[in-house]
Amino acid sequence: MATSTDTGPTAGGYVEEFRSFLEETWLGYALVLPAVVLMGVIIIFPTLRGIQLAFFEASLLNPEQQTFVGLQNFAQMFADATFQSALWHTVLLTSIAVSLQYLLGLGLALALKEKVPGAGLFRSLSMITWVLPIIVMVIIFRFLTQTGFGPVNVILDSLGMETAAWFGRPGVAFPLVVLMHVWRNTPFYAIALLAAMKSIPETQYEAARLDGAGPLQRFRYITLPQISYVSMIMIVLHVIFTFNNFDIVFLSTGGGPLGNTEVLATYIYKQAFQQYAMGYAASIGVVMLLIMMAFTVVYATLEARD
Amino acid sequence: MATDTQSQARSTDRSLSDRLDAWLAEDMSPKRALGVYAVLGVYMSFLLLPVAYMVMATFTSPDFLYSPRLVPALSELTLQNYVAILSTGLFQQYFINSTIVATATTAITLVVGTLAAYSMSRFEYPGRSGLLFTFLGTQMLPRVLILIPFFLVMFSLNLIDSLLGIVIAHSVLGIPLGTWLLKGYFDDIPESLDEAAKMDGCSHLDILGRIIVPMSLPGITVAGFYTFILSWNDFLFVSILSQTAATRTLPFGLQLFQSQNTVAWELLLTAATVTMIPVVVLFAVFQHWIVEGLASGGMKGT
Repeated sequence: MATSTDTGPTAGGYVEEFRSFLEETWLGYALVLPAVVLMGVIIIFPTLRGIQLAFFEASLLNPEQQTFVGLQNFAQMFADATFQSALWHTVLLTSIAVSLQYLLGLGLALALKEKVPGAGLFRSLSMITWVLPIIVMVIIFRFLTQTGFGPVNVILDSLGMETAAWFGRPGVAFPLVVLMHVWRNTPFYAIALLAAMKSIPETQYEAARLDGAGPLQRFRYITLPQISYVSMIMIVLHVIFTFNNFDIVFLSTGGGPLGNTEVLATYIYKQAFQQYAMGYAASIGVVMLLIMMAFTVVYATLEARD
Repeated sequence: MATDTQSQARSTDRSLSDRLDAWLAEDMSPKRALGVYAVLGVYMSFLLLPVAYMVMATFTSPDFLYSPRLVPALSELTLQNYVAILSTGLFQQYFINSTIVATATTAITLVVGTLAAYSMSRFEYPGRSGLLFTFLGTQMLPRVLILIPFFLVMFSLNLIDSLLGIVIAHSVLGIPLGTWLLKGYFDDIPESLDEAAKMDGCSHLDILGRIIVPMSLPGITVAGFYTFILSWNDFLFVSILSQTAATRTLPFGLQLFQSQNTVAWELLLTAATVTMIPVVVLFAVFQHWIVEGLASGGMKGT
C-alpha cells in the first residue's frame, strides 16, 4: 500500500493519467454533443447558408435553382430607397429606444434602491411588462389608441384635443413603436442596475460622506463607475435586441403607415416571404450582421480602454 | 395651560414622526420616502395601468367597451367574454398547442443545457471556451437572416407544420442563454464537493444528478422560466413553421384574430388576457428567484 502511493511518476502513472484525461475529454464532448448538434443544424448551418445565399439570386418558390450573382444584391441596396429608409429607421429606433430605456431604467433603479417599505413589491411588479408576450403588448397599445372608444382618445377628446387612429398616423406611429420598446424593456435595465448597485459596499458611501461628498458626487464617483460593466452588458444586449427585433414593428404597424416604421427586419421578412427574393433578403441580413458585429467590437474596445 | 396643550400637541406630533421614522429605515426621512413613492408611483402607473385597463375591460359588456367612457357601471360587469373565449374551439386548440410546445421546449432545453453546462463547467477539453462563445454569439445573429435557410432545413427534415418542429426551433433559441445561466450556477458549486463524491465512488453522472442539479435548483428554475416564456411568446418562428390551425400557438392565433377587418375587441382582449395568465402566474410563483437570478446570476456567468 505504502509503495503504491510512494512510487511517484512511473510509466504506469502516466498511462493512468493519460487514460483519465482521455476519459474526461471524451465524456466532456459527449455531454456537450446534443447542444452542439442542435445548434449546428438549426442555427449555425442556416446562418452560413444565409451568408452564402446573399451572393446568389434565388426564389423561395424554387429554392433549388440558384444563380451566382456576386455582389449584385449588395449593389441593389444603393438604389433601393425603401432599404435606405428602413436602415435609417432601424438606427434611429435603436439609438432612441436604448438611450431612453437606459436613462429611465437607471432612474427606476435609483428609486427602487431606496429603503422604503414595499420596494420589493414594486420591484417584482415592474417586471410584468417584460414577461408579457409581444402580441399582447401590441393588442393593449392598439386598443388604448382606438378611435371612438380607446381610453387615450376618450381622454384627449374630453380635453378638447385632436383624436386619431394613432398607429395609422405618420409621425406618431414611429414614436409609438419607440414607446412600446421603452415600456417593455425599462424594468429589465432597472433590475440589473439595481443588483449592481446593491453589490457596492455601503462603507464606500460612508467614507465619501465623511469626506464631504454630496449625493451627486457620490453617484458620479462611486455608483456610476461600479455599474459600468453591467451597463455595458445591458446596452450591448439591447442594441442587438432592438436592432434585430422583428415582432414589435411587424405586429403593431407592419412597417406602415406609408413605410414610416419599416425597419430592416420587417423589410427582409417581406422580401423573403412575400416577394420570395431570398438572395436579396439574405444580403440585407448580412449587412445587419456586419453592423452589429462592428458595433459590438467598437463598444467592447471602448469599454475595455476605460 | 396653553403651553401645556401646546407641548402635549408637540409631543404627540413628535411621537408620530418618531413612529414613522422608526418604521422607515435609519437614513430615510419621511420627506425623502414621499419623494421615492411619488417617483415609483409615476413609473408603476406607466407600466401597469395599460395592463390593468385591458384586464378591467375584459370583464365588461360591449355596451361599455365600445362607449366613450372610462369607468364601467356595476351593471356592465360580466364574465360573458371569458365564457365565449374559453368555449371557442380554435382558442382551446391554440392554448393546448402553446402548453405542449412551451412545456416540451423547457424540458428539452433544460436537459440539453444542463448536460452542456456541466461539461463546460467541469471538464477540460480543447475548444471548450470557444464553444460557449459561439453559443452566445448566435444571439447576435439577425433572426430574419437565419429564417430563410432555416425554413429550407426544416422543410427537408419534414418538420414544417408539426409541433415537433416548433419545439426543436424554440429549444435551439433557448439553449445558448440557458447553458450560460446554468454554467454560472454550476461554477459557483465548489469542486471539492465533486472530489469528495468521487472518493465515495460516485461517477460523473452521479455527481451531476446528486450534487450539481439539486444545489442549483434556483438557477435551473430561472433558465426554465426564461425558456418557457421564450417559447410561449414566440411569434416569428411559429408564423413560419405553422401552416394550419392544428399547429398554431397563441401568439400567432391572436395575430390572426387581430388582422381581420372587423376586430371583436371584447374577444381579442379576453384572449390576450388568457394568453398572458400562465406567464404572469409562473412569474409570480418564482419571481424571487427570477428577479435575483436574471440580475445577478446572469451577470456572473461571464
